[in-house]
Amino acid sequence: MRHLLFFLFAILQFSTVGQTTINGIVTDSKNNPIVGANIYLDGTYDGTTTNDEGKFSFSTSQKGVQSLIVSYLSYETFTKTAEVSSLKNLIIKLKDDINSLDAVVINAGTFEANEKAKVTVLKPLDIVTTASAAGDFLGALQTLPGTSAVAEDGRLFVRGGEAEETQIFIDGIRVFTPYTPTANNIPTRGRYSPFLFKGITFSTGGYSAEYGQALSSVLLLNTIDEPDQEKTEVSFMTVGLGVGNTQIWGKNSLSINTSYVNLAPYLAAFPDRNSWSKPFQSGSGELIYRHTFQDDSILKIYGAFSYSDFDVIQEDINFVDGFRFGLQNRNLYFNTSYKNNLGNNWKIETGLSFTNDNSTLKIIDDLVRNNENSLHFKLKMRKQITNRFKFTLGSEYFITNFDENYTPINNQKIDYGFNNQLLATFVETDVFFSKNLAAKIGIRAENSHLLNEFTLSPRASISYKSGKNSQFSLAYGQFYQQPKNEYLKFNQEFSSENTSHLIANFQYSQQNEIFRIEAYFKDYRNLVKFDTEMPNFNSDFNNDGVGFAKGIDVFWRQNQKIKNTDYWISYSFLDTERDYRNYPMAARPNFASKHNFSIVAKHWIENLKSQVGFTYSFASGRSYTNPNETGFLNNETKNYNSLSLNWAYLIDQQKILYFSVNNALGTRNIFGYNYKNTPDLNGFYDRQAIIPNADSFFFVGFFWTISDDKKSNQLNNL
Amino acid sequence: MKKVFLFIGLFFALNATSQSNYEKGMQQAFALWDEGKLTEASQLFERIAAAEKENWLPPFYAAYIEILGSFGIKDETILNAKLTKAQKLLDDATSISENNPEIIITQALLNTAYIAFDGQRYGMTMSGKNSQLYAKALQIAPKNPRVILGNAEWNMGAAKFFGQSTKPFCDEIKRAIEIGKEEKNDIPFYPRFQLKRAEDVLKKCEG
Repeated sequence: MRHLLFFLFAILQFSTVGQTTINGIVTDSKNNPIVGANIYLDGTYDGTTTNDEGKFSFSTSQKGVQSLIVSYLSYETFTKTAEVSSLKNLIIKLKDDINSLDAVVINAGTFEANEKAKVTVLKPLDIVTTASAAGDFLGALQTLPGTSAVAEDGRLFVRGGEAEETQIFIDGIRVFTPYTPTANNIPTRGRYSPFLFKGITFSTGGYSAEYGQALSSVLLLNTIDEPDQEKTEVSFMTVGLGVGNTQIWGKNSLSINTSYVNLAPYLAAFPDRNSWSKPFQSGSGELIYRHTFQDDSILKIYGAFSYSDFDVIQEDINFVDGFRFGLQNRNLYFNTSYKNNLGNNWKIETGLSFTNDNSTLKIIDDLVRNNENSLHFKLKMRKQITNRFKFTLGSEYFITNFDENYTPINNQKIDYGFNNQLLATFVETDVFFSKNLAAKIGIRAENSHLLNEFTLSPRASISYKSGKNSQFSLAYGQFYQQPKNEYLKFNQEFSSENTSHLIANFQYSQQNEIFRIEAYFKDYRNLVKFDTEMPNFNSDFNNDGVGFAKGIDVFWRQNQKIKNTDYWISYSFLDTERDYRNYPMAARPNFASKHNFSIVAKHWIENLKSQVGFTYSFASGRSYTNPNETGFLNNETKNYNSLSLNWAYLIDQQKILYFSVNNALGTRNIFGYNYKNTPDLNGFYDRQAIIPNADSFFFVGFFWTISDDKKSNQLNNL
Repeated sequence: MKKVFLFIGLFFALNATSQSNYEKGMQQAFALWDEGKLTEASQLFERIAAAEKENWLPPFYAAYIEILGSFGIKDETILNAKLTKAQKLLDDATSISENNPEIIITQALLNTAYIAFDGQRYGMTMSGKNSQLYAKALQIAPKNPRVILGNAEWNMGAAKFFGQSTKPFCDEIKRAIEIGKEEKNDIPFYPRFQLKRAEDVLKKCEG
């Protein structure tokens, strides 16, 4: 009886199940059929795959309102919720997925070094395997177009802008003192070790409204979210030692990295043109703690401390006994950032950075001490309204407190400085009109307490993908930046310096090949002018300076077309003039050369387990003033040439030997001339060439990684 | 009493159909896979995954097929689309079954697909991750033959690159084969040890 009942029930069940047929066709936006799309009723087993004509048909026993889902690679998933019986003869058009690799990218002005970037100009490894870079991310970026070779300085000079016009950010938070201090003619390096970063974005103009207080360029460094494994890294170099360690426990990780550099042994072996009473030494330590929360939000705390000192006497035509320059600097940087998904397609990112920089300078017999405390707080929210429409809004606050005192020999100490507070707010939208057309429009408002000034900076860029491998972009923006500390410490009656950028870009890219050409025009206004040789208390300052920069940047990179070889070529043409500082007239500044060219190549030699590479850089002459002739910045130096070589040899999986030599040919480069203040008996001003301290620089290092898997190495640290 | 019967009857009936739906679906997907209809197989696994939200096997297999299919692809757009999809499916599987050695080694396989595509670009970062993944999987399941084999293969690749002997790993492969032959599992459709493949790998190792 029971069995019979059960049987009946079962029969009943099946018989009540009527079958409904669902059918239709799936096409792309141009009505081409999509073959192999996946179609199903959500939460059921009922579904199928489209055939060669994009058609589908399947039957279901489901009743009532159901969700039909259609998905296919590189297309947005389509959902239709309706009565099952109505799902007949459907014509479903799938929209292109704008996150797909072949979608348009808004990239005017921008180079991205990121593993998953859609188009790779620079790879993370390049930062450290480029000959001439010597492990410094600034060195690698100087092989990209838009930068000028200012080899005696080492900082980034972008498109006719001064080095201070480039701002550097770590995890979206400003770095106030990114460069290590050096003496004249000794190139600086970035303070931070490159391998703490997984991605670098270098924008040479037209960047997002999120970034301000930078007239020319922004460099965005992003730290690693989660380290791969626990390891200890040891390096022995001709210039010092380094030790690093990474620990991982649960959802936490801690990386520590320390280094000590002392140039004394190197200078003893290869003396340069200076007489060092205390050769350069520096000690630095970095620490990153990362925590991933249960909800996948990430907290990062980054701290860096460095100390450096040196004391040197440099030859100077105006000082018989040479020019003495001594420096002691300590720098503390602290950066904490947090990001989280708030749900409902909201994302939040917030962070805080604090910098303390303290220097004591001995200039001949005078003493200058300064102390800077700076703080940056930022909060950014991002809402994705649809896949094709996003907006970002945020606010940030900067505080800088700068104090300096100057004690001339046998004289009273003089104190001066400034307090700067700036509030900024920005709003920006990203709109994808289609897979081929996208725009980014934003505006940034800034209110400076110190200058008592309010500024508005609109920004816009648009990109159109004209073919499978090519796209055009346009960008426009207004950029404001407060005058630099060098002026603010003596005077605060300023308004912000201003520039506008107009950029047009064409890019062609395919597998392992990229070509881009970019033309730009920059108009500078409100530049600071003063009437003394150097800015000081007695200077009469104003904001009447103007200038322009225009040019063309070309980049070409090809990988593996020549077996195991990767190379890139950059060329920049720059036409710029400025009437600023104490210039009597508009002229091309000394740091700007008209033509810059560089070629970087790397070749992997399988048999030798070695990567060899070279970098060749060329820059046309730089301007200087010859007082024996009339005019201002009336002469040009000879061209700059430098060939650098490197060789990384993998002894085994965990040991690497690394050699590099900068300016291998020992070309004698001249950056300008230093003229005597007073003429000789014949009324002639004698001069001295400004040349590097040493023509060539050698580096040998041994890098050893100790990890459980015995396979990691520091190739990516070189 | 009749109502209780009715209820029980219904319950059984529903339960029975659901069970058989899963088995039928999975069998059909494996059959498609055997016939080489990879898209259809992967999509069926995906549909099953959408219906069986508590079972890690359907998204796991859907991801697995996408990953296998991405080896040898030359077009970066397609590769990236396939592997991004596979990653999402693997993430779904992981959220259902955390610390699962089968999912962990499949994640390593996904990373390997990136490395195989462009070693220069992905090699450095991904190989560190992979070493870590295999170490983690071995720690959780030291006697899982698929984990042992995957780890040995990965080490063989590195040793070959550095011109070192692959010998030390041959024993590991033999051990994986021995354990693999004995392996039994009660969970239906649980990943099985591919004996023939393992023997091929062993030949390569010794040769």
